[in-house]
Amino acid sequence: MSGIMVIAEQRRGELKAPSLELISAAQPLRRPGDEVSVAALGPAPERHVSALSLAGVDEVITVKTAAAEFEPDTFEATLSALIAQRRPDVVLVPHSIDSFGYAAALAAKHGFGFATDVFDIRRIDGELVATRGGYGQKVSVEVDFPGRNTVLLALRGNSFKAPEQIGTPRVTVFEAPPVAGRSRSIDFIELPASDDVDMTGAEFILTIGRGIGEEANVAQFRELADAIGATLGCSRPIADAGWLPKSRQVGQSGKTASACKLYIAMGVSGAIQHLAGMKHVSTIVAVNSDAGASIFGVAKYGIVGDIFEVAAELRRQFEGDAA
Amino acid sequence: MGRLAPAGRQLRDRVQDLIVGRIDAVTRILFESFSAAEVRLFYAFGYAAIAAFAYGVYVQIRKYRRGAPLKLDGSLWKRLGDMITAVLSHRTVDRRDPAAGGAHRLIFYGFMLLFFGTSTITLEYDILEPLFGVRFWHGEFYLIFSLVLDVAGVALIGGLIYMMVRRGWMRLPKLDYARPDRVPGDPDFDRPQYRREDWAFLWVLIAIGATGYVLEAARLVWLQGRPEIWDVRWWSPAGAILAEAFRALGLTEHGAALFRHGLWWFHGLLALVFIALIPFTKVKHIFTAAGSLMVRDPLAAQRLPRIPESQEQPGAAKITDFNWKQLLNLDACTKCGRCHEACPARAVGAPLSPRDVILSLREFAQATLESGTVPGAAELDIHGKSPGQVAQETLWSCRTCMACVEICPVAVEHVPIIVQMRRKLVEDGAMDPLLTKTLQTIHKTGNSFGESKRKRAAWTKALSFPVKDARKEPVDVLWFVGDYASFDPRNQKVTQTFATLLHEAGVDFGILYEAESNAGNDVRRVGEEGLYELLAGANVAAMAGASFKTIVTTDPHSYNTIRNEYPDFGGKYQIQHYTSFVKHLFDDGKLRVAKRLAYRTTFHDPCHLGRFNKGYEAPRDVLKLLGCELVEMGRSRANSFCCGAGGGRIWIPDPVGSEKPAQNRIKEAAAIPDLEVYVVSCPKDLTMFEDALKTTGNEGKFVVKELIELIREAVPVRLPEGTAV
Amino acid sequence: MKILVAVKQVAALDEDFEFRDDGRDVDPDFLIRDLNEWDDFSLEEAVKIKEASAQPTTVVAVSVGPEEVDEALRKCLAKGADRAVRIWDDAIEGSDPIAVARVLAAAAKREAPDLLFAGVQSSDQSFASTGIATAAFLDWPHAAVVTQLAFTPGAATAVFRRELEGGLLQEVEIQCPAVLTIQLGINTPRYASLRSIKQAAAKPIEVVSLADLGLGAADVGEGGSASRVRRMFVPDKGHAELIEGGAAAQAARLAAIIREFKGVSS
Repeated sequence: MSGIMVIAEQRRGELKAPSLELISAAQPLRRPGDEVSVAALGPAPERHVSALSLAGVDEVITVKTAAAEFEPDTFEATLSALIAQRRPDVVLVPHSIDSFGYAAALAAKHGFGFATDVFDIRRIDGELVATRGGYGQKVSVEVDFPGRNTVLLALRGNSFKAPEQIGTPRVTVFEAPPVAGRSRSIDFIELPASDDVDMTGAEFILTIGRGIGEEANVAQFRELADAIGATLGCSRPIADAGWLPKSRQVGQSGKTASACKLYIAMGVSGAIQHLAGMKHVSTIVAVNSDAGASIFGVAKYGIVGDIFEVAAELRRQFEGDAA
Repeated sequence: MGRLAPAGRQLRDRVQDLIVGRIDAVTRILFESFSAAEVRLFYAFGYAAIAAFAYGVYVQIRKYRRGAPLKLDGSLWKRLGDMITAVLSHRTVDRRDPAAGGAHRLIFYGFMLLFFGTSTITLEYDILEPLFGVRFWHGEFYLIFSLVLDVAGVALIGGLIYMMVRRGWMRLPKLDYARPDRVPGDPDFDRPQYRREDWAFLWVLIAIGATGYVLEAARLVWLQGRPEIWDVRWWSPAGAILAEAFRALGLTEHGAALFRHGLWWFHGLLALVFIALIPFTKVKHIFTAAGSLMVRDPLAAQRLPRIPESQEQPGAAKITDFNWKQLLNLDACTKCGRCHEACPARAVGAPLSPRDVILSLREFAQATLESGTVPGAAELDIHGKSPGQVAQETLWSCRTCMACVEICPVAVEHVPIIVQMRRKLVEDGAMDPLLTKTLQTIHKTGNSFGESKRKRAAWTKALSFPVKDARKEPVDVLWFVGDYASFDPRNQKVTQTFATLLHEAGVDFGILYEAESNAGNDVRRVGEEGLYELLAGANVAAMAGASFKTIVTTDPHSYNTIRNEYPDFGGKYQIQHYTSFVKHLFDDGKLRVAKRLAYRTTFHDPCHLGRFNKGYEAPRDVLKLLGCELVEMGRSRANSFCCGAGGGRIWIPDPVGSEKPAQNRIKEAAAIPDLEVYVVSCPKDLTMFEDALKTTGNEGKFVVKELIELIREAVPVRLPEGTAV
Repeated sequence: MKILVAVKQVAALDEDFEFRDDGRDVDPDFLIRDLNEWDDFSLEEAVKIKEASAQPTTVVAVSVGPEEVDEALRKCLAKGADRAVRIWDDAIEGSDPIAVARVLAAAAKREAPDLLFAGVQSSDQSFASTGIATAAFLDWPHAAVVTQLAFTPGAATAVFRRELEGGLLQEVEIQCPAVLTIQLGINTPRYASLRSIKQAAAKPIEVVSLADLGLGAADVGEGGSASRVRRMFVPDKGHAELIEGGAAAQAARLAAIIREFKGVSS
């Protein structure tokens, strides 16, 4: 058992970015002689070879699957065969919606060591130790895997930075066994954007969360966003309640604020799913009446206070400015 | 001088003649000149009218009995006595509308006198004379009787004319049947049948009264030849005036006889038809209003009823889930519109009018419970938007402020009806999502803020002295703090100030710390009776484990439920709202005003302290002690205008763009020139009005302050003896 | 027709919590327990299917845990579950999702449902694994993060939508019986009034032991788990620079930050 295997995920022909972060996560885990291999599964995996040819990757394994899109049985059978052949002692997958569908099944079936939503891994005295959150992310938990030859870990997105330098890995092909998947993908559906907002391209975002209380209060924050020149966004509860269209939701199941440079969160507690969409932003200002809100953990600036008062005062500050 | 003397002597002689001589002969002969057949026919009509009346009464009573059972508490005689006092004094009709009160008094006394007068005649004519040979309706008695009834008739007609002017010309908004809980196009949006009935009632009654006088005048003209009638005609002044007029117009004795004969039938039949129709028309309010007043619960909205053990499904889903008293309430309503006018929800455009809830249910009861058999359960459902049903939005708009119950002249109890219907909605989960979440939060954490129980007394940490734990040591005064006072940052400051004042006054007080839960007043009024029982049970158990003499609270909602409702759950205590408690502290010299505040203030009576528990004076006395100038708002004391947070509405979002009751109230205060402080004594009021101050653009014009904060300004900080510095 | 819904009573941290002496978990005195938020939705979905079905369908709620878990199961009964089963043995203490899944799979074999629901994840430990691991032990078709479901009891397949990253949905068809993990927002969970919860107390909760399921101590607990907790600690919070002062001062500073940003970017 040696080596670290990274599983790269794709969807609709595109490689998913978090897969690249796993490569960086793998490097500190190398023991002498360990190789880091990246397996790309999909209908045309060879397309991703160049994107995966990064520093720190020793081998890219292309695995052609019959299913064009993610299918749990296909992934599990294919990865079972691949892991059985290569026998890595660490397998890294992204903690993604897709891996929610296969990682635990793989671990359960083969008795792997297993932990998900891991944001830190290292070896302590040679032993693999992973850190994840507990009790609603209020505490951190260090776990290890005594007696497990193979450990499967699902890593939290944006916890590691993808390598920037390119590398020259060797490329191999793995013939996957035929699989009769018990589910099949019918179609992808994009939710129609009810307004023309482009959250992913916005550089300055003002997001409101549960702290605004009632739907009637949305209007004042919309006006504030207009006044300061920000795009109005929201966290999940606001979109679920229908107070703002889903196209404005920032978070794991909403939009990622990819281009954002200044992010003001008002009345947002900072649930992990929301953080997934914005914690990478270089300047985050959190405004919340609860000094213990998780959002302060990722913010650069924090204002502990009444969001309505602060919003009103901020509005006043921009009253003189031209529209 | 000399010429008057003989005239005066003549008059004196005449009167003497009357009194001494022929007075006994003075009376009225009934059915004079009617044939026996006519009399029999009249009696036939009379019996028919009585039979119709009796049948109508039977249908109504059968309807009430189809409701759920209810046992009245208290002595029935006392109830009867109270009802008679209320009706005779007309105190409830006078309130906030003395003109209507006065006019209705005229109608009521006029009608009563005329009715009893006529009954007296029947008593003698049909019963006493034929059976016992007793006669009393003659002579002096008869003359006074005639005068009184004439005056009564004038009063009656005068009152009725005023009511016509009121309805037809003054066009008061509360008499306009426009209803907020339906939209144009709904089959029951417009209610022309009510208007028709109102006017028919007025016209018929006036017709009966007017024709009575004309009849009297015609008879006088017809019998002017008989001195025992003509000479005493001025004892019936109205009739006499008309008689003179008729004579002047040339009406002959013969003509008058014919006229009188025909008019007599008209008047008689009209009156009999009127009587027969009483139980089928709004005239029945004579009985239903009196009945409703007799069965009233003086604590109707303050102490809500528990769900009876026998009841399967909680709350009112069908019309028959209401008890007989509630069904009687529905019939007592006279559509006076006072509740409609007083309701804060209606005032801000919410789809609720207490009047229309009652009228809808009344129409529903009439349509379903007045026929021979009661329809099946599916047709008895009172929830919905069909005619007679009550919509969810209507029920959820209520603030349970009891303005409706308090002002209703006939003791209709709207709030318990609304809460019982809410109980059914809660059971079905038909609530605003925010309300659902809040109830789940209260269940989980014992408070509506979702904070850990351990944080309930976090506000005590900022104090410079320890607050006793009433669970661990005995105290004189147990302070029940309440959710808002414990957890809301703005209210926490007030709580800390109050604690400091108590400490300085040397009061031996303690709190229950984590053992205190939400008192449950609003949870109960939302209709979550199961959760209320849990909360009340928990609080009663916590208080049972503590030792104290009296309870004080700064929260009127907690005050109301602990005082009025906890006894039903095994918790009977002596409890005061802080305003009374503090007044005593001042009276006993434990607190002294050092700096008189010269603020121009107005005081907002909190619903649960003022209207619910009549606590109007203590806060005003304290304001006076502090030296403040108090200017009353138009709607004050019992007519105070709710801030809008009650009945669970603080946990339900207001519709976007509509006015909130608190804004309406602040605007009322803003009309007071040079107002400096708007004084409140309830944590929810503080929250709602500070918010409304900003959103109505009045920030900077005056401030909202808790009375406790004013007391702090006037009473200097003074550490009690023996306190370590 | 039967739908089995696996639920979890999760724990949230109370104020000023403390760790156990061994530092591997929080002192249970500081834990506030409640039904997992995701399970409200999965239970509601099952009850909705039952209510819409022409065939008589039973909804059974199952949970692994000690006696205090009965409170969560009672809530499920109040919300429309027909039966509730609780599995416990002291040996189960310290089990991770894989070990719990082993137990749930054994319970599912015993109940033989047509569908097994679990929540996508629990709000306390957020493993997002128990449901899918159970599917592996049963060797059933499975899918995670279901946000919309169309299923008629008795049918051979179900069609559902998964909620993907970025607001994308994927429509999938799956063979049944299957294990589905249910996402928030799939429906509006009904309110269970206190009265209905009290009345549900009359319905019995079946308590089942490991032996009843044919499992042993080695299958569960730390020995049966795929990971072991070494230590639990409160992490250093990220260092946000707190802007002090009243709302006006704070807003002024924030306005300055905004203007600086706009000056730079324009």
